[in-house]
Amino acid sequence: MSEIAVAGSSPAWRSRLGIEAKTSTEAPDARRVLQLALAGIWLLDAVLQYQSFMFTKGFGQMLGGTSAGNPSVIASPINWDARLVEHNTVALNAIFATIQLLLALGIAWRPTVRFALGASIAWSLGVWWFGEGLGGVLAGTASPLNGAPGAVIIYALLAVLLWPTDRGGRPAPFTAARSVGAPVARALWVVLWLSLAYFALLPANRAPQALNGMIAGMESGEPGWLAAIDRGAASLVAHQGLAASIVLAVTLVIIAAGVFLPSAGARAILVLAIVVAAVIWVVGEAFGAILAGGATDPNSGLLLILLALVYWPLRITSPEPGLVPARQEGTPA
Amino acid sequence: MSTPAWILDIFAAIMLVVAAVSAGRLVALRPWRLGRAAVVTDIDVSHLLMAIAMAGMLAAGLQTLPNDAWAVVFGVLTAWFAVQVARDVRWEGRRALAAGHCTPHLVHAGAMLYMFVAITAPAASGGSGMAGMGGSGMQTLSLPVLAFLFALALIGYSVWDLDQLSGPGAGPHYSLAVPRSVPQAVLVGAPTGAGPSAAPVVALALDGDVTTVARPDVADQAASCAIPASLTGSNPVLAPWVATSCRIAMGVTMALMLILMI
Repeated sequence: MSEIAVAGSSPAWRSRLGIEAKTSTEAPDARRVLQLALAGIWLLDAVLQYQSFMFTKGFGQMLGGTSAGNPSVIASPINWDARLVEHNTVALNAIFATIQLLLALGIAWRPTVRFALGASIAWSLGVWWFGEGLGGVLAGTASPLNGAPGAVIIYALLAVLLWPTDRGGRPAPFTAARSVGAPVARALWVVLWLSLAYFALLPANRAPQALNGMIAGMESGEPGWLAAIDRGAASLVAHQGLAASIVLAVTLVIIAAGVFLPSAGARAILVLAIVVAAVIWVVGEAFGAILAGGATDPNSGLLLILLALVYWPLRITSPEPGLVPARQEGTPA
Repeated sequence: MSTPAWILDIFAAIMLVVAAVSAGRLVALRPWRLGRAAVVTDIDVSHLLMAIAMAGMLAAGLQTLPNDAWAVVFGVLTAWFAVQVARDVRWEGRRALAAGHCTPHLVHAGAMLYMFVAITAPAASGGSGMAGMGGSGMQTLSLPVLAFLFALALIGYSVWDLDQLSGPGAGPHYSLAVPRSVPQAVLVGAPTGAGPSAAPVVALALDGDVTTVARPDVADQAASCAIPASLTGSNPVLAPWVATSCRIAMGVTMALMLILMI
C-alpha cells in the first residue's frame, strides 16, 4: 500500500510531508510585528546580560557609577543596590539575564504577551532607576548621543504603545494610537523628542569639545571601521559643540512636531527620525558598544528606530455606510 | 572571569535534549525505508549535529570532534541548505528567501560554520580544539560584525517561530496537537503557484510503487489538509512543533554563544 508521497524536485513538499513546520501561516498585523521586534531586542538584551563582564564586580561598580550627580533620594537606593550586586554578582546577574530572557520569550509567545509586556514595564522602570540612574536626567549629564533619557525607559514606552488592546471605534492613524489613543500617543512622542532636544542644549553637551569627546570616547575596543567612523565624526564636531548642539536640537524639535502633520509629511519626518536615530546608534553609541564587548544593552538608537515605526501612518480602509470603519490590518493579537 | 560554567552547562544540557529529540525523530522516521524521500530528514540531521557541536562548545567535557572536522561538517550542511534555498527561489520566487523553509536552516548552518572557522582559541588552550566557553581562556571570534549579524538573524527567527507556534493562525504545521492518523496514501502536488514547468505529482510508495497523478490541484489539497500519517503517524516526537521548538532552542543558544564570543 502506498504510504509515502513525494512531489517533483521542489523542496516545497518538505512542509507538506508534515515533518517540518511551515514558516508562514498567517501574516501577523503591524502591531504584532512590532511586538516581535521588541521581543527580539529584549532577547538581545538578555544574551548581552549573560556576558562574562556582567558576572564581575565591575558590573556592580558600573551600577554604582550611575548614582553620580543624582539627588540623594535617588542616589542612595542606587548605591545600596550596587553594593548588593557587588556582593552577589553571579546569582543576581544570572537572575537579571534570565528575567530578560523570559520577558523576550513571553512577548513572542502570544498567550503571555500581556503579562510579559506588563512585567517589562515594571522591570524597565526598576532598571531605569537602579541600573541607569534615571538616565542622567536629573544629573545634568543626559545627552541624546549617549542614550538619554535612558534606553530602558524606551522599552517601557514601547510596551505601553504596543499594548494589545484597541481604544474606541475609530480607526487609529498609527499603531501607537491603538492602545492609548492618538492624542496621548502624540503627547508621549512630543515629550520624548522635546526632552532630547532639551538635553542636547544642556551646558555639559554644548561645550566646545563636549560632542567631540563623547564620540571619540566610543572608539575604544571597536572594530577598525567603526573606530574610523567615530574618529571622522568626532573631528567633524571638534570645537563646534554649540553649533552642533543647536543643529541637533532643532532637528529633534522638527521630529517632535512631525506627528501632527498629515500622513505624507509625517512619513517624511519619521524617515528623518529613523535617520537621526540610526546616526545616534552608529556614531554616538557605536551600536551600544556591543562589538567592543561588555555592553549591557543595544542602547537607545535601535529603540528610537523601533519607536518611529510604531508611529508610521497606517492605511485605513473607507468605511461602508452604517458600519464601523475597519483597519486594513488583521485583528490585534 | 568568564560566564559561570553552570550557566553554560544549563545551555549545554538543553542542547543535549535537542540532540536526543532530533535523534529520536530520525529513528522514528526510519529514513532507510524512505528511499528518495529520506532527504526530508536533513532538518533533523542538521539539528542533531548542531546540538552536539554546540554542547561541546559550551562544555569542554562534551567536546566530540576537532574544530576543523566540525567546520567541514557545517560547510557541507551550509552548501546543502544553500542548494535547497536556491531551489525554493527557483520554484517560489524571491519570496522563498523570506518565507521558505530552508532559509532559517541555512542561517543556522552558516552561523555554525562561521563559529568554527572564525574562532580564535585563547593562548592558554594551545589552540587545538575547543576548550569549552567556560574554560579559563575566553574564546573570541574574528569578524565580530558577522557574529553580531548572525546573532540578530537568529534572534529574529527565534521570536518569529515562537509567535507562529502560538498564534491563532497557526496551521497544522505549527499546531501543538499531535498529528492525527490518516489511514490512506497521501499525495503531494506540484508547489503552489508553480508555472507550466511544474513537475507532475509523483506518489512514491514505500513498497516501490510510483504513480503519476494528473491532478496536482487535488493532490495539493489532500496534502495540505492532512499531515501525512504515513510519516508522522501518532508519534508525538514527530509533531512539527517539536522540530520548531528545537530550532528555537538552538537559535537562542547560538545567539548567546555568538555574543559571548564577540
